Amino acid sequence: MALGDVLVEERLHPDYPLPDLDDPIMRPFWEGARAGQLVQQRDRVTGAVHWPPKPLYWKGGDRLEWFPASGRGTVFTYVVGREPFLPAFRHLLPHIMVVVQLAEGARIVGHMVRCTPDDMRVGMPVRVVFKRLTDRATLPVWEPDRD
Amino acid sequence: MSSRRRCHGDRDAASWLAFAARTPGPPAPARFGGRPRGVLPRPVVVTDPLADRDLLRRIQDEVAVVGIGHLPFAKDIGRPIGDTAVEAIQLALADAGLEAEDVDGMSMLEMEKTHEVSIARRLGVRQLTWWDKISYGGGAAAGTLVHAAAAIVSGQASVVVCHRARNRGSKTSRPWAQEKELVTDDKALHVPWGLIRPVDVIGMWARRHMHEFGTTREHLGNVAIAARKHAQANPFAMMRGRPLDMPTYLAGRVIGDPLTLYDCCLETDGALALVVTSLARARDLRQKPVLVHAGAQASGPNPVHLANYNNCPTMETTAKWCAERLWARSALKPADMDCAQIYDAFTPLVILGLEDYGFCQRGEGGPFTEGGRIEIGGALPVLTSGGGLSEAYVHGFNLLLEGVRQIRGTSVNQVPGCRATLVTGASGVATSAVVFRGE
Repeated sequence: MALGDVLVEERLHPDYPLPDLDDPIMRPFWEGARAGQLVQQRDRVTGAVHWPPKPLYWKGGDRLEWFPASGRGTVFTYVVGREPFLPAFRHLLPHIMVVVQLAEGARIVGHMVRCTPDDMRVGMPVRVVFKRLTDRATLPVWEPDRD
Repeated sequence: MSSRRRCHGDRDAASWLAFAARTPGPPAPARFGGRPRGVLPRPVVVTDPLADRDLLRRIQDEVAVVGIGHLPFAKDIGRPIGDTAVEAIQLALADAGLEAEDVDGMSMLEMEKTHEVSIARRLGVRQLTWWDKISYGGGAAAGTLVHAAAAIVSGQASVVVCHRARNRGSKTSRPWAQEKELVTDDKALHVPWGLIRPVDVIGMWARRHMHEFGTTREHLGNVAIAARKHAQANPFAMMRGRPLDMPTYLAGRVIGDPLTLYDCCLETDGALALVVTSLARARDLRQKPVLVHAGAQASGPNPVHLANYNNCPTMETTAKWCAERLWARSALKPADMDCAQIYDAFTPLVILGLEDYGFCQRGEGGPFTEGGRIEIGGALPVLTSGGGLSEAYVHGFNLLLEGVRQIRGTSVNQVPGCRATLVTGASGVATSAVVFRGE
């Protein structure tokens, strides 16, 4: 199974909390996901990775760039959600939400796919999968990296 | 206990008072024809030998809480918070022996849409000369007092009421159940993945703490059981008459593994208020003054509201930074606290708070809860009214009132001879804390 596999959400709930894809700061992240790439932002000068990302006018502009991340990381921590849960996620219960420590340094929130609560361990390797919610909205989510 | 330090008695105080009030300098002598046209007067720059511009460091014990009041807590209080706020403030003023006409400042913990002027008008305040609102839910309660203290010592107000009115007891009022629009800004970092219930946001910290330090479910249970035990003596506590033991705790229904029902605070309607004034005025009033010894607010670096997972390499909470400022402003230290009201929307926050505020080392918060240490009669009783877990969840404002009662000596779970207590906001969000002491 290739890194960056694509899943399609077949049962998108009308109240799903979709992200604002046109938010100027986050737009490259969402556009990257739609194109099947996990992207991160870094400072051209120092190389420091910024998460949450900064606005492009940060420190006068011309400091930041987005770059493709490896799409690999480890589970920093996780929670297994049970009822009562938001209707938009009920069909996913038990819903495994995760904070992934990316190889590039940032910690980002996601959720697991192709995985049960019993599989979960802090520190386990995970890799990115892309989950299409709508024509435009794609979420980077995570699966156990068994390679 | 450290010796009493009365900063306002040390009179290089004139210099800091001048700074605090930003007193304009005297006009230029007339024989020079006054100041040049078009140039506005500048404030006098007071040279402080310590280069210390932290006013809060220099107002230890200058301001006192002189009145407290709250309505009975309820699942459904049946009227809007604009009304319950006024009722609670009236109770606090009556407790202080003051009238609405004495009030000229207002500081509120507010995330809804009530307005100071409306509350002041309904109350009968003559005029507000200073007001503000602090948001960030569980991080904010002590912040209202920090701001009020600064307003009073800088002369912007003489009697300030701080309050929180909150109607969240009914399920439909919970903001996390109401995401309808496109998710943007901070929420876009976690909500689209379903990480939206506060219990899950905090569960992330709990799991990591368990992994790094070996914290156990029993440690979390010690917190829930202490709060529940304390609530049994409190006639206002929502959980009075419903004691909790460890087997029941451990069998709790899982909400977001590793957290269960008993790790979660209540959802309560409530309205609470405090009245704050200068110590000089407080001495003429009815109640024993409860001194605001020190206070602080901090967001921590790189903050995100709630899902704050990138503020430092070791995933410490915002309270770490708040505690640094708080203790730097305080002549007292954690060991001087006779009890503590550590913010408890969820049990792990108490364990984190005990570490953040220096009662134990990082990672020791779990074992700290053992052996009854945090229960009444222990070395550091916490949440002596039952807290958000078992008295009422009102974004921690009830913890402030309990801190005041402990210093007055009127708590239902009174720590004998309580001289000083810490009240904190939420570890994790932009937060605040305050130290109370007696005169």
